[in-house]
Amino acid sequence: MSLLAWCQWLEQTSLATAISESVWLFPIIEGSHILALPLSVGMILMFDLRLLGLAFQEGSASRMMRDVVRWSKFGFAVMFFTGGLLFMTQASKAYGNVFFRTKLLFLLILGINAAVYQIIFFPKMEQWEAGSGAPLGARVCGGLSLIVWIGVIVCGRTMAYQF
Amino acid sequence: MTALMSWLEWCSNTRIIVLIRDSSFGMPAVQSVHLVGLTVLLASILVLNLRLAGISMMNWSLPAVERQLRPFAWTATAFVLASGALMFVGNPAKYLANPAFQIKMASLALAMLCQFGLFRRFFRSEPDSRPRAMNLGVAALSLTLWFSVGWAGRAIAFV
Repeated sequence: MSLLAWCQWLEQTSLATAISESVWLFPIIEGSHILALPLSVGMILMFDLRLLGLAFQEGSASRMMRDVVRWSKFGFAVMFFTGGLLFMTQASKAYGNVFFRTKLLFLLILGINAAVYQIIFFPKMEQWEAGSGAPLGARVCGGLSLIVWIGVIVCGRTMAYQF
Repeated sequence: MTALMSWLEWCSNTRIIVLIRDSSFGMPAVQSVHLVGLTVLLASILVLNLRLAGISMMNWSLPAVERQLRPFAWTATAFVLASGALMFVGNPAKYLANPAFQIKMASLALAMLCQFGLFRRFFRSEPDSRPRAMNLGVAALSLTLWFSVGWAGRAIAFV
């Protein structure tokens, strides 16, 4: 089965049609997807500001990372759940949409970026977290995260206009 | 009131507003700015209220958290208001008649009244001096009010 055929099958599932045909379900799922932005992306952006040396500079970076990442996990759980449901209802349109594809590419880049931070810079956080600025590599991770997350929001909002 | 409406109608027919409203990338661009601004603004309010509730950022004092967030929250507010105004002037009569828009403006007024009036002292002083239940209550109320503004805003497109 091709990816497009799978998307078409997904749209025909009873779950997808139930969401599309319900007066309340689609707006509630879409609203939850958007209103989870501050909890998911917003919390990550707060830590990006810390990495870039723009805010919360006097406090421990690893402590702040724990504080915000803990909350963003809830936000991303809502994001992936509601995003998956929204995709199901319009899978074949999304499949061919350049903004949807760009959004997925951006999410992949963000995943790799987070993994790079976790593997390379996270273990060394004790060396710089007390006051002095983050090393260049960690700043690059923070800057990349900030810019690409904004790109994800722009792509997500724009793709809906083309359906 | 009629003078204001005719001025708004004049605004909605200016070349720049027509371009934003009717071009294929005008509204997605303006709404993207609105959403990015909303993300930063509501995340700031979230962090502030989590600190007030004694749940997160406990190595920072509440006034210090507020000072750190202030420039970003106000910049985000400026972008949210500017992009919101651009959407509004594209179709003023349609927005004014939309019940979700009316609820959004009412909850926005209420949220601002609480944040900068009623709750002001809660965010400007140390939470430790007050009972925990009171801080939790204010944080829950503040978050409910601000997120209601967002929900009502999302509902504009559906009613």
